[in-house]
Amino acid sequence: MAEISGVALRSDELARIRERLGREPSEVELHAFDAQWSEHCSYKSSRHQLKRLPTSGRYVVLGPAEDSGILHLGEWNGERYGIVIAHESHNHPSQVVPFEGAATGIGGIVRDVLCMGAQVIAVADPLRFGRIEDPHSHQRYVAQGVVDGISAYGNAIGVPNIAGDVYFDERFDDNCLVNVVAMGVVKEAEIIHSYAPPGAGGWDIVLVGKATDPSGFGGASFSSLTLDAADEDANKGAVQVPDPFLKSVLMRASYRVFGFLRERGLTVGFKDLGAGGIMGCSAEITAAGGYGARIDLDAVNVAVDGMPPEVIAVGETQERLLWVVPPDVTPELVRIYNDEFTLPEIAYNARAVKIGTVTAEKRYVLTHRGASVMDVDIDFLTGSIRDDLPVSEIATPDVTTERPLVTGVQLDELIERVLAHADVCSREPLYQRYDAVVRGCTVIPRGAAAAGVLAPVPGSPLGVALAVAGNPRYSHIDVRLAAEHAVYDAVRKVVATGARPIGLTDCLNFGNPRKIDHYSELVSAIDGLARAAERFGTPFVSGNVSLYNESAKGRAIPASPIVACVGAFDDIASVVTMPLKSAGSVLYAVGRPQNALGGSVLLDVLGRSDEHLPRIDYEVILRQHELLYEAAQSRVLRAAHPIGNGGLLVALCEMAFATLRKGRAHVGAQIDEAWQWTHGSVGDLEAHFGEAGGFVVEIAASDVEAFEGLADDVEGVYEIGVTIERPVLVVDDEAFDLHRLCDIWRAPLREVYP
Amino acid sequence: MSRRIAVLVFPGTNSEEETLRLLLACGGDAHLVHWSQAALLPGFDAYVLPGGFAYEDRIRAGAIAAHDAMMDPVLAGAAQGKLALGVCNGAQILLEAGLVPGTGEVRRPTAAFTRNAPAPHFVCRHVHVKLAVDPARCAITAALPKYALIPAWTANGEGRLAASEEHLQEIERGEHIAFVYAHADGSVDASATPNQSALGIAGLVNREGNVLALMPHPERDAWTFNHPDERRGDAILATSGGAALFRSFVEAVART
Repeated sequence: MAEISGVALRSDELARIRERLGREPSEVELHAFDAQWSEHCSYKSSRHQLKRLPTSGRYVVLGPAEDSGILHLGEWNGERYGIVIAHESHNHPSQVVPFEGAATGIGGIVRDVLCMGAQVIAVADPLRFGRIEDPHSHQRYVAQGVVDGISAYGNAIGVPNIAGDVYFDERFDDNCLVNVVAMGVVKEAEIIHSYAPPGAGGWDIVLVGKATDPSGFGGASFSSLTLDAADEDANKGAVQVPDPFLKSVLMRASYRVFGFLRERGLTVGFKDLGAGGIMGCSAEITAAGGYGARIDLDAVNVAVDGMPPEVIAVGETQERLLWVVPPDVTPELVRIYNDEFTLPEIAYNARAVKIGTVTAEKRYVLTHRGASVMDVDIDFLTGSIRDDLPVSEIATPDVTTERPLVTGVQLDELIERVLAHADVCSREPLYQRYDAVVRGCTVIPRGAAAAGVLAPVPGSPLGVALAVAGNPRYSHIDVRLAAEHAVYDAVRKVVATGARPIGLTDCLNFGNPRKIDHYSELVSAIDGLARAAERFGTPFVSGNVSLYNESAKGRAIPASPIVACVGAFDDIASVVTMPLKSAGSVLYAVGRPQNALGGSVLLDVLGRSDEHLPRIDYEVILRQHELLYEAAQSRVLRAAHPIGNGGLLVALCEMAFATLRKGRAHVGAQIDEAWQWTHGSVGDLEAHFGEAGGFVVEIAASDVEAFEGLADDVEGVYEIGVTIERPVLVVDDEAFDLHRLCDIWRAPLREVYP
Repeated sequence: MSRRIAVLVFPGTNSEEETLRLLLACGGDAHLVHWSQAALLPGFDAYVLPGGFAYEDRIRAGAIAAHDAMMDPVLAGAAQGKLALGVCNGAQILLEAGLVPGTGEVRRPTAAFTRNAPAPHFVCRHVHVKLAVDPARCAITAALPKYALIPAWTANGEGRLAASEEHLQEIERGEHIAFVYAHADGSVDASATPNQSALGIAGLVNREGNVLALMPHPERDAWTFNHPDERRGDAILATSGGAALFRSFVEAVART
């Protein structure tokens, strides 16, 4: 634990610093190392593990080295376009001050994408909340405040929110998870990197954005400690203050600067200020180019006078970015921000200002009131910390024995209870508060498919899909397999829209890594992610690690590897949506059901538990994904939807509900008895509610021959029924009114998000 | 010489790019004009105020922007008969500036788009709006068919028209109700209105018919690709639905 009040550095780390410096570190140095050597900045306990993830492949333009990763989307008019993608968490701040925590989460990740020279085109939010039944509980306050914060910030800056998921579980009562994914588009020839380019010695370091204030001091180390309720007030000071209004102007001014740099053909460096503030950003951007830096803290535009140098240097005030540019470029850069986009009039003392110089000598030097307050080897500061923590073997459940089938429960009651389950019911009350269509490029907003789709390059038919996944009900059974499922689930959602999955990003949310069980979970999850990513051919190009998600009482979250998948379309004319299109079509299940209900919504509803998670047969699944792609390309897929939480019947209901919601009330579905199409290989309930994956697809009667031709050598394709002209779902000769089921599905979250 | 259209960008505006893109696609000679370039505005022949959060909706959406120097040339131009179209935040600004319904003094609004009801939250939802005046009543809608049904997205936290009973009657009598919310089949009832806006009002026009304020965004449902369920082969990149209003606007600008 902390040796010095307000500092999270451990005693062995302090000793290393003293030894290397040959003296006591100054107050500024102490806070600088505290931030830079926190897990948040240094990934000291996870970096060497993360190296095991696959990060290269034919679509990788930029792997996980800078603020965002970049995937090749396609070509248009002789230009190559890249999708910039980044994934972050703002878990700790959101638990303490939900609105600001969630808002600054979006603010930060948007800057990570922006600083690659990209237009920011979308955000997505994977959320994990505690129990929200009690209207006066802190968990309810968190769940509402987070959604309001995402809404207020994302809507204002004009970035559509096109994907996300939410789970509720008591193990998130003390630590919510607020992950956020941001996506951008960039011409690959115009990427700006987060490092000082070759020849940058002597260049200017220009800070731009909000005036530095005392907010967010200690944020990096705060997020690398467990949350203690007694410290809640003190922790609030570590949370930053969002300003989407200023960000909106900053983004537009930066786009103008990109244009200016293109005209001049200049290569520069650009980086977001996140953890570690001015110090972290300026040290990393220069060290990554093989340089040092000299920063004059007196040149920094501040909001209040008399701030101590360590607060100016390390504080995490929001809405700031940092440029490394040749000195003759600085005047025009400053003019665009300060005069053309009038930053000083947008927020108090906001501006672009030169604060330092890139140095050939690899030292990191801070001066304050004319005196040096920090002078250290820059590589020691940014690159030398690593924790090798002990790992133990994680027991995997013995699932070799055959499971007894679930029997003796009535279907009608189950359908309603599964549809009303917190992890299944309609998310519309949440996402209706997010602008899904600003920028005018939205092809599929939330609610129309399991993944969002955009046409990110105006005038071109290129398209991009984005989906997120990570089921917290799986990880305590088998964290390695749960991580594989997170990848499979995210990939499957993208495949269901007709896209080619091209890459992944992840956020690994875990408990305290210094507890062997939690660290071992992290290591196992990375095993699973690596295996699934390799098999699906979808490398990770960026990601984030959020550890110490644990309360002072020692209650940790369920291990939560959360994955986002990016998919590409050469032509958005091949996009597939989920609403059932017309009566008289044939319905297929593409995906093999299993007698494995572990972690399923069904078992939760029944109050039972089971350790049989569905297995993932990659060979078969890859062929199924090819089938979906080929069927979308040849325009025989009328509708498709992945089978996930709640299983096949839920997927089918969601397809039918989407049709009802479009005002076309005349399409229902009739499903054959499960034993007929599974040939008795699995139980009826397992076939209807199992979560082994796959898809439900609708094929017009006239396309059945073509589809079956494509599916000829694909395993796990079953004709399961037909669409009918009445708004009912017929299962086992029982007819369920779809309007009624839809009302049941839509109701639960309305009370929380009126 | 072609008529030049200015797309006004206030601090906090966020829909300028898609608005510009659609105006260009409809044949308009449109240009973005930023807040630091207000001096250029008198030289333009028509004005479009796009959506967003100008001055972060301080006090009330549009209230600060209505008093911005950017609005002086718009007020002067509207008085001379230049056309002005405001969408979402742009519509809020036009109301706060008193240009629509235009039944009071300049910058003394008689009606406002205010907090949604019943829940006072931002709502993003697909809607339809229906032309509620004779197309020729408003120059900007002149090229639309009678009772034209326009698809659009409502995406705002303050889109509910509120006015005193007296002013509402004046709005109704003066044929200021340009658009009302409607169902996809064109039918109109209270359930078609997403926010309890008075009289189901989605858009208002001034007395002279040259200034139109519309809350939902037709420019976000203006391309075939915005409707993947109704795609038509190679036409996926063509304009559709919501583009009709912008086309009518561009044609009207050409006639001025």
